[in-house]
Amino acid sequence: MERSFRKEVQSLKLGAGETFRGEGILAVTKALLQSGVSYVGGYQGAPISHLLDVMVEAEDLLAELGVHVETCTNEASAAAMLGASINYPLRGAVTWKSIVGTNVAADALSNLASPGVIGGAMIIIGEDYGEGASVIQERSIAYALKSSMWLLDPRPDLPTIVRLVEQGFALSEASHAPVMLELRIRACHVTGEFAAKDNVSPAFSGNNRLPGPPRFDYARLAHPPVTFIQERRKVEERLPAAQAFVAREKLNEVFGGDLADVGIVTLGGLYNSTLRALERLGLADVFGKARVPVYCLNVAYPLVPDEVKRFCLGKRAVLVVEEGYPDYVEQMINVELRRADIQTRVLGKGMLPSAGEYSSEALIDGLAAFLAETRPAGLDVAALAARARALLAHKPAAAEAVGPLPPRPPTFCTGCPERPVFSALKLAQRELGPTHISADIGCHAFATFAPFSMGNSILGYGMSLASAAAVGPNLDRRPIAVMGDGGFWHNGVITGVASNLFNKGDGILIVMQNGYTSATGLQYMPSSAASRQGAAPGMDIERTLAALGVKWLRKVRTYGVATMVATLKEAMRSAERGLKVIIADGECQLARQRRVRAEDAGRLARGERVVRTRYGVDDAICTGDHSCIRLSGCPSLSVKPSPDPLRSDPVATVIETCVGCGLCGEVAHAAVLCPSFYRAEVIRNPSRFDRFAHRLRRRVIGLLGGREAAA
Amino acid sequence: MSAPRPVTLLISALGGEGGGVLTSWIVAAAEGLGLPVQSTSIPGVAQRTGSTTYYIEIMPVTAAELGGRRPVLALTPGVGDIDLFAASELLEAGRGIAGGFVTRDRTFVVASTSRFYAMTEKTAMGDGRTDSTRLVRAIEAHAQGRLLFDMEEAARASGAMINAVMLGAIAGSGRLPIPTAVFEQAIRAEGKAAEANLAGFRAGLDAARREIAPPAQRDGKRRHGPMPQLAGLEAEAARTLPAAAHEIAVEGLRRLAAYQDTRYARLYLDRLAPIREADAQAGAAGKLVAETARHLAVRMSFEDVIRVAQEKIDPARIARIRADNKLGPDDPIRIVEFLKPGIEEICSVLPPRLARAIIGYSARKGWLGRVYFGMEIDTLSVTGWLRFRALAALRRVRPKSHRYAEEQAQIETWLAAIRDAAKLSRELAREIAECARLIKGYGDTHARGWGNYAIIEQRLIRPALAGTLPAAAAVDAIASARTAALLDPEGEALANCLAEIARATPLAMAAE
Repeated sequence: MERSFRKEVQSLKLGAGETFRGEGILAVTKALLQSGVSYVGGYQGAPISHLLDVMVEAEDLLAELGVHVETCTNEASAAAMLGASINYPLRGAVTWKSIVGTNVAADALSNLASPGVIGGAMIIIGEDYGEGASVIQERSIAYALKSSMWLLDPRPDLPTIVRLVEQGFALSEASHAPVMLELRIRACHVTGEFAAKDNVSPAFSGNNRLPGPPRFDYARLAHPPVTFIQERRKVEERLPAAQAFVAREKLNEVFGGDLADVGIVTLGGLYNSTLRALERLGLADVFGKARVPVYCLNVAYPLVPDEVKRFCLGKRAVLVVEEGYPDYVEQMINVELRRADIQTRVLGKGMLPSAGEYSSEALIDGLAAFLAETRPAGLDVAALAARARALLAHKPAAAEAVGPLPPRPPTFCTGCPERPVFSALKLAQRELGPTHISADIGCHAFATFAPFSMGNSILGYGMSLASAAAVGPNLDRRPIAVMGDGGFWHNGVITGVASNLFNKGDGILIVMQNGYTSATGLQYMPSSAASRQGAAPGMDIERTLAALGVKWLRKVRTYGVATMVATLKEAMRSAERGLKVIIADGECQLARQRRVRAEDAGRLARGERVVRTRYGVDDAICTGDHSCIRLSGCPSLSVKPSPDPLRSDPVATVIETCVGCGLCGEVAHAAVLCPSFYRAEVIRNPSRFDRFAHRLRRRVIGLLGGREAAA
Repeated sequence: MSAPRPVTLLISALGGEGGGVLTSWIVAAAEGLGLPVQSTSIPGVAQRTGSTTYYIEIMPVTAAELGGRRPVLALTPGVGDIDLFAASELLEAGRGIAGGFVTRDRTFVVASTSRFYAMTEKTAMGDGRTDSTRLVRAIEAHAQGRLLFDMEEAARASGAMINAVMLGAIAGSGRLPIPTAVFEQAIRAEGKAAEANLAGFRAGLDAARREIAPPAQRDGKRRHGPMPQLAGLEAEAARTLPAAAHEIAVEGLRRLAAYQDTRYARLYLDRLAPIREADAQAGAAGKLVAETARHLAVRMSFEDVIRVAQEKIDPARIARIRADNKLGPDDPIRIVEFLKPGIEEICSVLPPRLARAIIGYSARKGWLGRVYFGMEIDTLSVTGWLRFRALAALRRVRPKSHRYAEEQAQIETWLAAIRDAAKLSRELAREIAECARLIKGYGDTHARGWGNYAIIEQRLIRPALAGTLPAAAAVDAIASARTAALLDPEGEALANCLAEIARATPLAMAAE
């Protein structure tokens, strides 16, 4: 894994009377153990990767408690794990990145939600929305609504998050429905503290196994005819039970205020931002005391109609603070008020943006607009509007002063084994012409940014080959699909490869075999060279492809740019029909560097011979065209002012972070760029022979008239 | 409401610089003092050298003093609501200002003046770098106070990561309610590489405490030393050329003497004489001579295999590589060069007739652009050194080579165009001189640059000289076309630009 969680594992062991300090997502992890879960599963992805990573490292603690942890191969298998809670009084939790993970899991979730559960079942979703998000912008609440699962959206405050996790299991059991708990990106990474409780050993677990399966009960199946009964139960039994539980346990919160003829209904996750906006407008302090009454929905679904009515009654208007589209909560509130014939105006979208994250600016603007529109008694609305304007007025001039700035998206690491494949693809396209490229999810999606700017579509994780299925037959040349090994095992092997072979498709698939799911934090996957238990899981992509029946199969070391170019051209030009797979083989450089650096440091300390390779550019030979950078895109390949007093364009340079992967030399060679690149091999702790050879060469060159050359 | 407010700190950094650790040091320090604190970040996939931010709020009063009251701290930085803004890189500091996070009434900026260039700054075919001066000026104009220094250099000098230097600078800014000693404690408690981090911390602290003079502007240019055999030519240059061109001409003379010989340097000065007259007639105040002198020296020292070989075994170059790798003179090192000459490169050193014959034959065979001779040469090995030495020795026969003949002819055409243009407009002459900038590099790059120059010459320069394109229009057109030629290697921008010019000046293009 990318980082060690040894310290975090210690905090999972805290007991009553101690204080937990750490990230939101780890507070959730601790809360799961305090809730007595029997099993945990999930699929990694920002922002929830840490939950699983810590669980994996906390093996001893979990064994002691009897908690079973599974690092699933995709979200569907994680969701299906919750099936254990249909028949058994087992609490379980699974986690993934949403919306995408929920999409993958949807089938299992529907079939879980229909029969319902007897053990508390919880889905922790990292809502990857807004700044820093890496997926399409949709709302997970849609799944809760359509499948009658409950959605918790706790305000980003560690004690509240922990309380909602614990209460969420009780809610699930009280209403026999699965519960989703949503945390936005920043809430996953927010730091704070809460008073820990002792961990709870589950009643049944690996340490105390259940005595056999229950009697056959057709009602536990998601299969007709009982699905019709289950559909009715969702509405007639589970929904009221859930509403009663939420009301009784006061999961939602109301904060009073003196401007009582208006109010704000905010989703829990947006509470802190809303309060800060009020504070900056002079309508609150930072301790939660606001002049406008606030109804904080820590439970986004279901709403509790009585609570909604009680809050809105006597108010002329309320503002619903709900990020993203559609405005489900705003609609539900409208419906409840209409049903009760309450005339409070419901404002939301329109005052606030319909799309996009609710940043501090959006909220200040929106709140000011709402108050200007509704003019609550006892508030100087004009002064407030002026104040809102003053808070944000400086921004346009500041942006103007700075001028246009180049974007800086994430990119392939220095030495990344995937970058050379795109260098090769770029070079191959010079001869082959442009090709359709189906991109996929993973680090290789960075090729969609400069300097490669490659990729015609991204249809989801492991979907690249499948998304080219109808392109190939309609295009005058073969499409190329790029997929990582993570995506391959996530579902690409079935959705893509098997489907292509089954349909006797054509086309090219490049599988990036770097040995980890790197973009999510270097987790192991089925074809990794090691696993959390130590030994390699033993699944091999090449053998799998061969077993599936792939005939045209090549494995190319990714740094061999010329070989990769030749292989790509062969695959494009081959008269042979059928799927052509190129396994681009090269270990993730992040993982490799961590290992190699430690090994080299050890060897240096022991006085052993270590050869360190670094690349360089001759600044006297480089003329500053930067073709090399356009073909490589390495973060360590940069520019610097030309040392030539007569030239102004900056020249290329290799900065200190170079790990000596050799791509720049390979590209310079394969693309016939220029003779500026060189490789310097520095020998630390040289042997006596090294020194002797060095001296001898220098002598001979000196005798030939080049004394200074070797000096 | 006059209740206490949190102190807000926004940190901008690049993925991989240790911003997460920096944040955790600050959080630990605040926690150590019993101050309520909260941090958030959006790591996501931004860890891979993308820009990212960390946001911290610290209450200036302890939890104990607040009694039971718990502050509700914000997760997102507010526009206009930042007390301290720290950036590990100058462009990211600019991004923070553009985002509205720096305000005159309260924001103190701690930023590194170092640059880590963004991809599109590096991929430009000419100079795509953002103007650092503008960024510094924006900081000065919008911050309440500032601490700007080269944190990267400070990190390198102290052997620490840049995050430790940033922490020192943040501590030294005095804007956080946390004494220095508590930060040091947080670094020690974290444990990993504590000594190096403490050294970095102190470097940042020092920078904050003393008034740092802006670093001496070294331009990093390597100029040729005086050459006794050029004394006469240099004196002549000083006597005959306008003052604006002196320095450049001297550098040009030395460059060409080193590149070829004194006679070649003489040719350089002779070629400048008519330009000097053209400059005087056009009233260009020496600028035309200066610019032509600069480009002429570069064009005359064209990049052929002989020059590359000279550079590769230049003792100064070996010394630079040793210094870059922190090696002493006796430490063994291997330097491997990547060379891949094609038929044209090899022919460039042959006599013109033979070269033309081979190139013609190869073209018919379809070998050009396909057949290359790839080699990796170990420069400091005896055989490697001898190969370069043998190539460098061809310098003496260079004036008889194919490439030399071609280059000289092109240079004469270009100089003639400048002279002719000066009669029409001094601006036009300077624009034509400046077009030499397009011709650079090796292999494909050289061919592309030359091709772009040739298109501009044919479509704009010649019509301008022939009078079919008005000089004033030509000046703008040539400048735009040159900029466009450096926008993309595929030549799309140049083609669009020329089409645009053709629409705007139908008469001129009709004449073509």
